[in-house]
Amino acid sequence: MLKTEELQINIGPQHPSTHGVFRMLVTVDGETLVDLKPVFGYLHRNHEQLGEVNTYLQNMPFTDRLDYFNSMVNNHAYARAVETLAGVEVPERAQYIRVIMDELSRILNHATAMGFMLGDMGAWQTALLWGMREREKILDMFEYVSGARMMCNYCRFGGVVRDIDDWFITELKKLMQGLPHYFDDFEGLLLNSEILLARARNIGVLPKELALAYSVTGPVLRGSGVAYDIRKAEPYAVYDRFKFKVPVGTVGDVYDRFLVRIAEMRESYKILEQALEQLPDATGGFINPKVKQQSLKAPAGEAYARVESPKGELGFYLVSDGSGSAYRYKVRAPSFINLSSLADMCKGYSIADVVVILGSIDIVMGEVDR
Amino acid sequence: MTLSHLATEDVFVVERNDADFRAGQGMTKGLGIVFRKFRKALFGKPNSDRADTEGQFNVQYPEERLVLPEAYRNMPILLYDDATGHELCTSCFQCERICPPQVIHITQAKDPATGKPVPAAANFVLEYDTCMSCGYCAEVCPFDAIKMDHDFELSTGNHPELDVNYDRLLRPISYYEAIAPTMWSDVKEQAMKKLQNNIKRRPGAIGRDHGQKVKGGAAVAVAATPVAGAAPAAAAKPRGPVAAIGKNMPEEKVAKLISIRAANAAKRGGGDAAAAPVAEAAPIVETVVDTPAASAAPSGPVAAIGQNMSEDKRAKLEAIRAAKRAQRGE
Repeated sequence: MLKTEELQINIGPQHPSTHGVFRMLVTVDGETLVDLKPVFGYLHRNHEQLGEVNTYLQNMPFTDRLDYFNSMVNNHAYARAVETLAGVEVPERAQYIRVIMDELSRILNHATAMGFMLGDMGAWQTALLWGMREREKILDMFEYVSGARMMCNYCRFGGVVRDIDDWFITELKKLMQGLPHYFDDFEGLLLNSEILLARARNIGVLPKELALAYSVTGPVLRGSGVAYDIRKAEPYAVYDRFKFKVPVGTVGDVYDRFLVRIAEMRESYKILEQALEQLPDATGGFINPKVKQQSLKAPAGEAYARVESPKGELGFYLVSDGSGSAYRYKVRAPSFINLSSLADMCKGYSIADVVVILGSIDIVMGEVDR
Repeated sequence: MTLSHLATEDVFVVERNDADFRAGQGMTKGLGIVFRKFRKALFGKPNSDRADTEGQFNVQYPEERLVLPEAYRNMPILLYDDATGHELCTSCFQCERICPPQVIHITQAKDPATGKPVPAAANFVLEYDTCMSCGYCAEVCPFDAIKMDHDFELSTGNHPELDVNYDRLLRPISYYEAIAPTMWSDVKEQAMKKLQNNIKRRPGAIGRDHGQKVKGGAAVAVAATPVAGAAPAAAAKPRGPVAAIGKNMPEEKVAKLISIRAANAAKRGGGDAAAAPVAEAAPIVETVVDTPAASAAPSGPVAAIGQNMSEDKRAKLEAIRAAKRAQRGE
């Protein structure tokens, strides 16, 4: 009598489609996936323990290395946590600058995330470079203000390290002239492409209830049809002053996540426009001069601050015992929590879909493993 | 189950275009865009404006280079005054304290006559391999002595060379002024004022006794010695065995290490036990003399033979070079 046997396959940790050193132990029945066990920890580097040894300021550059695509957002979230803990006021201009950097990060993250996902679908490098090109322009701007392209280390407690000047604003306006063309091209190139539709539609469906049960956040949650965005639900910085909408999907498949990301880039563009318009002049300063950056001591207590990172809810939890460094430091990393829903998303689909579904979650292993 | 406490006007549902799906159409449109971009890249002008989304975007590195912004930070360097040769660093240890990966190691200079500390650094070691380029050292430095360099082509096959010591960290102020003019002019006045105050408290050549100061101030520092260049400055300060073994080691530890090495050599039955420390002391001075090119260029952290090379590697290199010279018939 004929009988079939299930087969176990290792994908990763060194595999171009696993977005870093991530290993998936998959069980397949023919081509169909029966079970998936994510294995991670290859990039563990003691980040949270280091945060308890470092002083508050010393820990800032380490947060760059979490989600290295969005170091500006990581800095913002960490600075907000310390500011909440120590009760530091942030000048309005600094808030606006942080919002501008966050939204630029969102555009560059989504552009590259979709490029990587399309790379996983087989459009190796070409689609990715479309994202990389825009990202490069934005990284140049980051380099100008912060001194580094990716490891920006830009925020300080009570502000940012360097003010943005006229050159930055002119160049940003120029950059924004090109962005709508870029979005149009990106949509025209991909939105109705039969290959993309075949690989993305009704693949990796994550139902609303399951997404909520996994506490998934960001574009993955919104793709599943839950309108939840921290910028709206709990406006931080100056987000309550901008008019923008939260895009949501209906099915919760790879295609919905893709569409949500494109829509979010357009919304980010709107926020950028408004932020540049409302940007207060330099009289208020870009950093709170009263804060002792190097010897900052927070009163005993705890604080949790969260921001809407391009990948989801990024939160920093700090407990202070009154000394110069955190007693407990915990990162709520969106990549890690979104990744936990991977097994349920993949079950029942073919093994070729696994890499696409993983790409659609948009993870960065620096944040997953910490 | 709804979590949607957002107002309905804040939310919109993305359009899936399920209805107007026609085979071939989407791909034709996409190919049209690709073709347009391809044509612009082939025949178009190089992209010059951030607003452009078409044209040629590539830069032919290393022949062509993009201009680095002033704020760009790669690795820290130390500044010295062109005119007097005095180093700006006063070894206040601010940078050593703030450094997140703890890669800065400073030794404070002491007055040889009184033994009291002098506002200058005797040695300054930076581990370039572990430095995370966060820029905090430059940010906290009250004397503007430590700044972030723009040179990013630092690759080397010799790992120990990345423990960069004082000689190779030093750059003239004019070098920094050239790479970051406005950032220097912002702090110039107070930095020079502080330096003048510190010079008064530095006896003798302390604060300007490190190598590589070829132009300007070097003449003052090395006027007493006949040979120009970095060699006399290095020779004036016998750092031999210390540098060879480990730059920040205390004297006792160095002595101990030397004795251990001697004992080991004796165990191997070699008669070179006594020669070992001498061999360690020699190469440093020799290296500096050997490579005038390296010492002439203040921006070149790449010395021909690394100062931190292990003995056997150095010997091997020397042997290879000698063989090559013989081959060429020199």
